[in-house]
Amino acid sequence: MAFTARAENVSPLAALKNVLQDALAVARVGRRTMHYLIRGKREPGSVARQMFAIGNQSLFFMCITMAFIGAIITFQTGLQSKKLVPDFSMIGATYLKLLIRDLAASVGALPLATRVGAGIAAEIGSMVVTEQVDALRMCAADPVDYLVVPRFIASVIMGTVILIIGGFVAYGSGMLVAQLMFDVSPHTFTNLSLVTMGDLVLGVSKAVTYGGAIALVSGQRGLATFGGSEGVGWATTEAVVGSCFAIIVLNLVISTIGYFFVPAL
Amino acid sequence: MGAPAAPVGVLLALPQRVGAFLLALATQIGGVTILLGQILRRLNPARIDRHELFRNLNRMGVRSVPIISATAAFTGGIMVVQAAPFVEQFNAKGFIGWAATFTTFRELGPLLIGLIFNGRVGANNTAELGTMQVTDQVDALRALAIDPIAYLVVPRVLAMISMMVVLTILGDAIALGGAMLTADLLLDVDPRIFWASAIERLETWDFFVGLIKSLLFGVMIALMSCYYGLATRGGAPGVGRAVNASVVASAAGVFIADYFSTFVLD
Amino acid sequence: MPIRFVNIHKAFGPKVVLQGVDLEVADGECFFIIGASGVGKSVLIKHLIGLLRPDEGDIFLGEEEVSRLDERALYPVRMKCAMVFQSSTLFDSMTCAENVALPLRKHRGMSMKEAIDDARRRLEKVHMQDFADAYPAALGDGMRKRVAIARALTLDPEYVLFDEPTTSLDPVSARRTDELIRRLCDEFGVTSIVVSHDLVSIFSIADRIAMLYKGTVRLLGTPEEFRNTEDPIVQQFIQGRAEGPMEV
Repeated sequence: MAFTARAENVSPLAALKNVLQDALAVARVGRRTMHYLIRGKREPGSVARQMFAIGNQSLFFMCITMAFIGAIITFQTGLQSKKLVPDFSMIGATYLKLLIRDLAASVGALPLATRVGAGIAAEIGSMVVTEQVDALRMCAADPVDYLVVPRFIASVIMGTVILIIGGFVAYGSGMLVAQLMFDVSPHTFTNLSLVTMGDLVLGVSKAVTYGGAIALVSGQRGLATFGGSEGVGWATTEAVVGSCFAIIVLNLVISTIGYFFVPAL
Repeated sequence: MGAPAAPVGVLLALPQRVGAFLLALATQIGGVTILLGQILRRLNPARIDRHELFRNLNRMGVRSVPIISATAAFTGGIMVVQAAPFVEQFNAKGFIGWAATFTTFRELGPLLIGLIFNGRVGANNTAELGTMQVTDQVDALRALAIDPIAYLVVPRVLAMISMMVVLTILGDAIALGGAMLTADLLLDVDPRIFWASAIERLETWDFFVGLIKSLLFGVMIALMSCYYGLATRGGAPGVGRAVNASVVASAAGVFIADYFSTFVLD
Repeated sequence: MPIRFVNIHKAFGPKVVLQGVDLEVADGECFFIIGASGVGKSVLIKHLIGLLRPDEGDIFLGEEEVSRLDERALYPVRMKCAMVFQSSTLFDSMTCAENVALPLRKHRGMSMKEAIDDARRRLEKVHMQDFADAYPAALGDGMRKRVAIARALTLDPEYVLFDEPTTSLDPVSARRTDELIRRLCDEFGVTSIVVSHDLVSIFSIADRIAMLYKGTVRLLGTPEEFRNTEDPIVQQFIQGRAEGPMEV
């Protein structure tokens, strides 16, 4: 990954070239993943195992993180609206709309990428440097089919589920802060009048996209590991940074599409 | 993580896992606190290896500029895209400059740059120290009568904290550039109006809140990544595990620090 | 000043490694510690510079009781007593010259430039001057070991610990390393403790040998005494036979 290039000095132009190359490499892994997703036959239980691993290792962490995020966002929004209009009756409605349309998926995806992406890259990377992936190739098994596809399916499903759960947690902690700091009752706070079906569709499609992106970027980085124990560390770094960056770029793309085709109000 | 356990096992496993988690948490908090104490002791009198300090300032700071700039620019754009419907509905174009600067300075800038910094610099630092640990290079330093904390950890911690603050200032500026451009393109808000509203309503304190936060995040990431790096055991898989644990712990630390500082610094 | 190990015990969790080792190494001696892999030879010498602490027993360097010193008080000991690690442990982020220059900068108060110049002269002595600006990752095992030896000798130590200095070297590099160790003893009066299972080194340069077996010293003596011993386990080891009474 260009941003974490191991070479000491990289010119901006070369860095840009590296970014594009990395994006292409991820796209190639993505194409092979899609191919095997339709054609390949999966070992029974492999997806369930990955779903358990991803859910198990990130649910607790995500709940704590999203609780803090919900509290922070509500507090900041409250501070900001206090300066403009000293009226908190719409704070819940606005917060819920933003949460569903964007924040639950996009803000939650960054810590999720940190947890899941690092896990996937470290696991696959360790298998690469200990030559287990070469052993797979010797058995005529494509590592993408065997290692990336189950993680991709699991990450899409569990990523979406966890981001939705995280959204609920953020809603709860936001409600608590609104009550304690701005005296907004849970009843006033829980106001779904601004939320449309389009918001829900946009939010869920963001969550699905991020789940897939995390698995593809981290899987590709893991498979590209080289150079022993240091290499595994590098691959993990690159997976986290690459996934976060992919999420931010995808967010801008999907949000802009949403602005034009899924009117917010 | 292994396969799902039997249903009865899950019920019994829960309290066990909570207990194990709390014990591990206590160990880690203790370890990080001890490390902090060791670092502070070596800052008085400060005898910092300048060569190592400059190497890390360059490696951690200068070379993070591209990723920080790109992330910040995109984030500034996203911020305006998200706010656009509300701005249009309430006809609040005169406020968007202030809203964007307020959010960026106080919250979004430090938090987002903290997370990216954690992924890039923190993880990298743990990987480097972890590799040095498992390949006996840390013991080699001790055998040369060189204190690993003073030589390895102190310059890294100082470099990470100072670079986190500097990169936040840079990221804030670039994010606002992105926001201004998007506001101009999407909402037809003239850049002059954008800045005028920011200058009119913004307080200096808003900017400093963000800097204090970024300082705290820097301390958090620096301590965690050095602690997990030096605590690495068990060869190549050990380095992978350490990086993973360090990134996650720092991210949690950043969010928790953010939460408390948001309330305290109001 | 002689080195004395008194009744050293050391275990890592449930794995007991040393159970009562007694040794005395005289000044200017080239002393070999031999034994099968995993018997605790490296563990034993790491105790001398405080990298490991004994569970029980004491280590004396002259009159000083090393095993009782804290980390800070060990630094003067480590400046007198250098160690060459098995895996060379050169710092990856520095060139060879910078590696050798580091102790000079830290303990001799030299500037970076002075230290690098001095480091180049020291690299010449181990025939590595052409690789002074190369990074360790670019070098082979034998070259790295030579740089590591140059680094260990920068502070003119009175004692040098070598952990398997000839393992993974080609035969020619191995014999050159042997010569270097012998010359340190003969010309500079350095006391060397060498951990090894390289039979050629053992019988060409050792003054005295101790064989570790099952956590204790099985036999202590000169190479001559080792050749003539009737102990079947020692005989099996020094003849390198697969079959015999030795338990792995």
